[in-house]
Amino acid sequence: MGGVVLADVVGGASAGSLVLAGDLGLPDVPLRYVVLVVALVLLAWRLTYTAARLDRLHARIEGALTALDAQLVRRAECALELAAAAVVDPASSLILASAATDALAAEDEHSAGRLEIENVLTETIDVALTPEVVAAVRAEGGAPAELVERLAAAGLRVQLALRMHDDAIADCLRVRRKPLVRLFHLAGHTDLPQPVPLDAPQRL
Amino acid sequence: MSLRALRIGIVCPYSFDVPGGVQLHVRDLAEWLIDQGHDVSVLAPASPDTPVPDYVVSTGSAVPVRYNGSVARLSFGAVVNARVIRWLESDFDVVHLHEPLTPSISLLALRAATCPVVATFHSAMQRSRPLEALSPVFRPSLERVSGRIAVSPAAHETARWNSGTDPVVIPNGVFVDRIAAVGPDPRWAGTPSRPTISFLGRMQEPRKGLPVLLDALPAILEACPRARLLLAGPGDGAEVLSAVAPEHRHAVEILGTVSDEEKAGLLAGSDVYVAPNTGGESFGIILVEGMAAGAPVVASDLEAFARVLDDGRAGRLFACGDADDLARVVIGLVGDASAREALRAAGRRRAREYDWSVVGEQVLAVYETAVLAAAPVESGPLTLRFEAWRDRVRRRVRRGAGR
Repeated sequence: MGGVVLADVVGGASAGSLVLAGDLGLPDVPLRYVVLVVALVLLAWRLTYTAARLDRLHARIEGALTALDAQLVRRAECALELAAAAVVDPASSLILASAATDALAAEDEHSAGRLEIENVLTETIDVALTPEVVAAVRAEGGAPAELVERLAAAGLRVQLALRMHDDAIADCLRVRRKPLVRLFHLAGHTDLPQPVPLDAPQRL
Repeated sequence: MSLRALRIGIVCPYSFDVPGGVQLHVRDLAEWLIDQGHDVSVLAPASPDTPVPDYVVSTGSAVPVRYNGSVARLSFGAVVNARVIRWLESDFDVVHLHEPLTPSISLLALRAATCPVVATFHSAMQRSRPLEALSPVFRPSLERVSGRIAVSPAAHETARWNSGTDPVVIPNGVFVDRIAAVGPDPRWAGTPSRPTISFLGRMQEPRKGLPVLLDALPAILEACPRARLLLAGPGDGAEVLSAVAPEHRHAVEILGTVSDEEKAGLLAGSDVYVAPNTGGESFGIILVEGMAAGAPVVASDLEAFARVLDDGRAGRLFACGDADDLARVVIGLVGDASAREALRAAGRRRAREYDWSVVGEQVLAVYETAVLAAAPVESGPLTLRFEAWRDRVRRRVRRGAGR
């Protein structure tokens, strides 16, 4: 049976139509229509697949941004706690507390102002917790050292989230640059993702 | 410092039948994580008669495959794929894949995983042609990886080439205290009259650099005639000895393959530990082990080694492949006890930075960030909700079939 069908297909192809259809009781279909339909199906599959891929990438960026947000808040909380525990001198504590409070107040904003505030916090942490201060606190141990470690860990996590976000953007832009994506407008109304211009990581 | 106990799945592509850098890394990482109270399962190939720790789930025997210039023991295929999918059903908070770009269970897990995925790139290869050719196939899978780690700057470069992203560099770890606790093994400990110089590694593998050390031997013996050269590692000892001039053979002792414990004892008792590797090193964990054990380390000035040795502050460097320079550095150290002591102390300090307590904490930070960054499925985009639904259906179907 298979052999017969194949022969029919080959024969049909040379004649410009599929004769096998007759075998199955279906009307004759010119080959070019079959090819067209197959091509359309393939294109549709490709488009949905790419759209789903893009959707996932956008979700990844969104998720990374959520993570960055959470880590920034956690860092501000750590900084505030450290300031309240008077681990460093009172003046530094006050500056640190003020920067941390600002950051916590700006928690829900997604704006340039928020970035500015977070960068100020980074700077303040660097100024208040110089390598000498950190070394002294670490040498002493106990609760203050633990607070410093927690702040350092929070800073590391901010950096990781930032990197995750940038990585996701790089992946996403690569797909969004594809001609297919642009031609069929697969990204929909989603804005082109923008990297978050946070300053250099805190030294701690 | 972690928020809560995580359920972590780790995938090791290489077989536990033979020891190797990636396998040891996975084992140590898993043990450290379990120590921290996390729930860890490791998926790895292992033949039924290989004893594996109880946190390891085997995908069955591995086949030796020639890939990327060396032979790797990998496992793949339809049956293995089914095992990987079943393993992934244990609802991990995060899955950590090692070497995701090898044709292995890591790649299979990457395709099947629906939880947040973290990937570690270990190897440093120049450029992989097959990977470039297949990049349209791999790229969509790789886009599922949210956290990327490279163990060294060289591995970072490789990953950047092959996946176009910027992984965070987290070095390999060692359990410094475990190694330091062993102490010098009296059989191989150096004495002022008979200093010991040690070498570890496969003797017949040219890039491990044993020939360079043997070339330096005559000059070393001329300066200190009673020095002992201890060679540990797999390989044909007789062949090594035949390459040494007869009048110098008395100084060479072949120890063969040694256990972890013996290795630490050997390093701790050495007056100089030499790593004359000539290339192809991505990281140099053995140097960290040497420093942790308290051995004064002398290594070739490969980029990876120079980095581990803090540009020569935690160990001495010599010009790669240059036997005369090696002899000069070794002779200088063997004749100077205070320099050796200073180097031992500097090495111990440096090794701390590679302790699992430091390195593991960083890996955990990547896990936590990946978990945080996971989009909430319920309210997430349609695709994710569809995938979650599809997975539920698949699971139900499979459970029905298993009954």
